[in-house]
Amino acid sequence: MNFSEKLKNGKFIITAEIAPPRGTDWKSVIKGIEPLKGKVDAFNITDNQRSMVRMSSLVMAKFLLDYGFDPILQLTCRDRNRIALQSDLLGAAALGVKNICLMTGDFTSLGDEPKAKPVFDVDSVQLIEIAKILESGKLLNGKEVKGKLEFTVGAVYNPFAGPKVLQEIKLKKKIDAGASFIQTQPIYDVKVAEEVNDLVEEFGAVPIIGLLPIKSLKMANFMKSLNPSSVPDKLIEGLEKAMDPAQYGWDYIIDIAHAVLEFGRGIHFMLVGKTQELANFIDYLRNDSPYNHRF
Amino acid sequence: MVVVKIKPLSEILKNLRGFKKIAIFGCELGSARCKNGGLKEALQLKNSLEKEGFEVISVKSPGGTCILEKVSKPLLEIEKGCEVVISLACGAGTQVIAENTNLPVITGVSTLFIGAEKEGKYFDEYCIACGDCIISDTGGICPVARCPKSLVNGPCGGAINGKCEVDSSIPCIWYKIAERLEGLQKLEVLRERAPFKDYRLAVYPRKLEVEETT
Repeated sequence: MNFSEKLKNGKFIITAEIAPPRGTDWKSVIKGIEPLKGKVDAFNITDNQRSMVRMSSLVMAKFLLDYGFDPILQLTCRDRNRIALQSDLLGAAALGVKNICLMTGDFTSLGDEPKAKPVFDVDSVQLIEIAKILESGKLLNGKEVKGKLEFTVGAVYNPFAGPKVLQEIKLKKKIDAGASFIQTQPIYDVKVAEEVNDLVEEFGAVPIIGLLPIKSLKMANFMKSLNPSSVPDKLIEGLEKAMDPAQYGWDYIIDIAHAVLEFGRGIHFMLVGKTQELANFIDYLRNDSPYNHRF
Repeated sequence: MVVVKIKPLSEILKNLRGFKKIAIFGCELGSARCKNGGLKEALQLKNSLEKEGFEVISVKSPGGTCILEKVSKPLLEIEKGCEVVISLACGAGTQVIAENTNLPVITGVSTLFIGAEKEGKYFDEYCIACGDCIISDTGGICPVARCPKSLVNGPCGGAINGKCEVDSSIPCIWYKIAERLEGLQKLEVLRERAPFKDYRLAVYPRKLEVEETT
């Protein structure tokens, strides 16, 4: 069963995130995720994340398809107007890239081409609307699209961003517009994960809880600088005391992953290294965990 | 108002090469308000230029340099005996001056934005003149101008502690919008998906024709 089928059939989903290379060496990216083949349901391909130039996410998604992986193409509003966005979505459909995750994107000046012109012609809610309009056989301008296309549309949610009331209204707009799965920013607290899970389900989409193993105190502080409320004190304290902070960070999110397996619908590993460990963990979940029937 | 910033003297001097006799135009409507190009700054510039050996023959600061009838007479007065005009008015005012004099015109300011004043000291951009105003739906606060991503359906996920991800010295404007709409008990207006913006309305040069009424 592929990602889209699992989504429809209520199976537990595991996704992971990879970035296209900062160059042309896509083969090493494919090689890096080889241990996860057949274990991770789909791979998000980031779109110049943090506004840093990388190879096209659409091209990388096609390489994944060719090598037997199921890609989720991330597409941001930052770099493309509605003409380019529709063009890329048509291209994705033609290449057989069916899963898309649509988002606003980090602001231009935060990355490594800070002088670039930001676009933001449409926002993430409208980009989801565009994908659904294309599926209906039309372009945004009403002209007919030749050939059928079908997407599994997803979006993102940051439970630590505010204002809470507007973030929730926007989340609902995304789901009402057609997002069928929601991947979250990294969560380090089971209670938050459960609240987000319930909220997304209540709005009618499949929640996929984001988990990013923290490798060091430095990384924890960086995460805290991005999202102060997202990193709990107990995680910082644990990292301070740990003999092997990277192992501690990994064990910490594995514990959360176990908890999510009990109540949730999916986990999104924003993985930095640890590919083999993740493969082993997924094997354990599928074969030996008390919840293995959910996969 | 249109907010301007006076250029460094060194840059003004660079543009004055070859000239000796100067007229300075400020603007009391916009430039004066943001203390970067009204009569006071025009007189300060006069002093600086005289110290550099220039001859400033006229300093004027009409109330509204972009209005031809306000500048036509002062322009006539400087036609003789003057070699160059320095304008401290915004881009619009400076062009009106340039269109109506045979003298060369250089600008002494950079035009920044359409803004609002706080405490006579701070000027914030409030409007990008997108031509398609939505502030009736956002509590009278414009996210198109005041959110760097011009988001119309709500905030992005990037604000940190209520501060904009692009510049931590400014608030995420959606916090202000939320606060305002909650106070007015009008949050409902944001539950509707915002229409796609029509950016034709922002394609410059734009024009407005006022219809004659009988």
